[in-house]
Amino acid sequence: MEGIREIGVIWQGELRRALRSPRTLVLVLLYCFFAALVLIAVSFMVSSATSTLNTNLGGQGVPEEGQAQVALEAKAALLKWLFGDDVNLVEALSRIPVVIPLVFKITLFFLPAYAALMGFDQISGEIEPRSIRYLAVRARRSSILFGKFAAQATVLVSLILLVDTLIFATARVLNPEFEFSLLLPTLLRFWVAAFVFSTAYVALTSLCSALFSLPAVSLIFNLIALFGLWMLDAVGGWIASWARLQGQEEPFLANLRWLSPTAYSNALLHPEFGVFGRGLVAYVLFSAVFLAAGYLVLRRRDV
Amino acid sequence: MSDTAIEVNQVSRSFGAKVAVNQVTLQVRRGECFGLIGPNGAGKTTFFSMLCGFLKPTSGTVRVLGADPRVPGALKGKLGVLPQDAALPGGLSVGRLLTYWASLSGLAPADRHAREAVEKVGLMDAWNVDARSLSHGMAKRIGLAQAFMGGAAVVLLDEPTAGLDPRSAAHVRSLIREVKAHATVVVSSHNLQELEELCDSAAILDRGRLAQAGTLAELTARSAEFRVELLGPAPLAQVQALEGVTGASMAGQQLVVLFDSRRRAPEEMITATLELLIRQGVKILGVTRGKKLEERVLELT
Repeated sequence: MEGIREIGVIWQGELRRALRSPRTLVLVLLYCFFAALVLIAVSFMVSSATSTLNTNLGGQGVPEEGQAQVALEAKAALLKWLFGDDVNLVEALSRIPVVIPLVFKITLFFLPAYAALMGFDQISGEIEPRSIRYLAVRARRSSILFGKFAAQATVLVSLILLVDTLIFATARVLNPEFEFSLLLPTLLRFWVAAFVFSTAYVALTSLCSALFSLPAVSLIFNLIALFGLWMLDAVGGWIASWARLQGQEEPFLANLRWLSPTAYSNALLHPEFGVFGRGLVAYVLFSAVFLAAGYLVLRRRDV
Repeated sequence: MSDTAIEVNQVSRSFGAKVAVNQVTLQVRRGECFGLIGPNGAGKTTFFSMLCGFLKPTSGTVRVLGADPRVPGALKGKLGVLPQDAALPGGLSVGRLLTYWASLSGLAPADRHAREAVEKVGLMDAWNVDARSLSHGMAKRIGLAQAFMGGAAVVLLDEPTAGLDPRSAAHVRSLIREVKAHATVVVSSHNLQELEELCDSAAILDRGRLAQAGTLAELTARSAEFRVELLGPAPLAQVQALEGVTGASMAGQQLVVLFDSRRRAPEEMITATLELLIRQGVKILGVTRGKKLEERVLELT
């Protein structure tokens, strides 16, 4: 119980520090601007592509129903390219304005790097000037790690939830036919996906921060780790696709992608509960592994 | 309850090939004010950091109030620490920072404990100032405030007056005197006069090894030696002939008298010597018992 109380106190204290930190404010603003920019650009591109398509098809004498059908097929092709071959997932995403999955995917792609920039010095930044000693004499090292992780996750998750809400609000304005009966459960699903996804990457940042006593080294290592995980997913995915195209069985190396959290991100948006649950469990496991490793490192290290 | 507050047994700590602390064994009794003495690089801060649980010993055992300081939560609320060169974290005002730490230590109400601690070091004016923007001296005093907060049973202070102006240093010494009335205090310092003034016992470290440990009286040979500052020469032969004297010599303007306290009590020995000197018409400027701690440290390191 005392450990949980300590985590709560550290969470409060660190959250207060984070919210007063100019770096956090700058990064929050940057992320909001970035999300808004992506939203505007994607909305503009979708709208102009739809209008160009309709004009061209209209010029060729294609009736309105036909135009709508072609637009739907184009949307499905785009979603398939972004989210893979899963018919159920693509079908579920086709029912909502395309701007939502597009912007969500793009913002989520940069989220791990953003989490690294925000929290790379949460532990190392206190080890280098030894200010962690004031905490270490009062609290368990596990409480320090989990309290700081919780504070970082709170800031990041709040931001993501805000950005998601902004995306959905914009989509609703641009697509009045996007009814609340579909909007609200979809928003909830996207919130859960963003929450689970970002928590795993904040946990990775906590691990990287606990590994080194120099914040700059923590950041560099964190970015290398992100690149490594992205490479695992990309290379593993590429090998799997190549094998499928050749009509062969997936070689063992294709399984590399399952070592990267990114490989499970699509599952978090899947309409089937079983697939979603597998994605959820995968992210929870990644978070647990990163945090447990961070704790072991911090527990053993000199401060 | 054991009489020992700190027990260190055969403790060593290496950093790569360098052995910073080498096979040190010592004990600090409850309620004692204990000094850690040694030149730069003697291993004081490494030793101190092992007492706090910040560093893990390479070998040997450390027990503070019977607990291993590395065990999570074992010394929570029982240990107050002023670490050397630990910067205060930024992003919070002094008041919020100390309230945060008081709350983390389980002190309630945290705000009152924080205020009392800041008042104690005379820095209420800095309550709303960001902790990172304090001057070195003010940061040191806030560091002391957090170490004293909550009345821990063992207080470890690494260089508590380093970098302070004389008035602030005197204030800190008076605070340490207050604290040592109800806690075991360990002070690491280069200021030997300060340690002589504050401590009951001390350990002298040299190149990682324990050169000597004992009470201040033992370290300075207070019960076996005294010095008389004179104007002019001393009648050495007559002093040596006094009962209980085992040796007498001149060191500059000082007459150094060694004696056997089992044969004659120190106060009797000093009185007899002074009477002899006065009878001989020697002008006396002052008397000090034992060696200066500084001399003892210089001898040993």
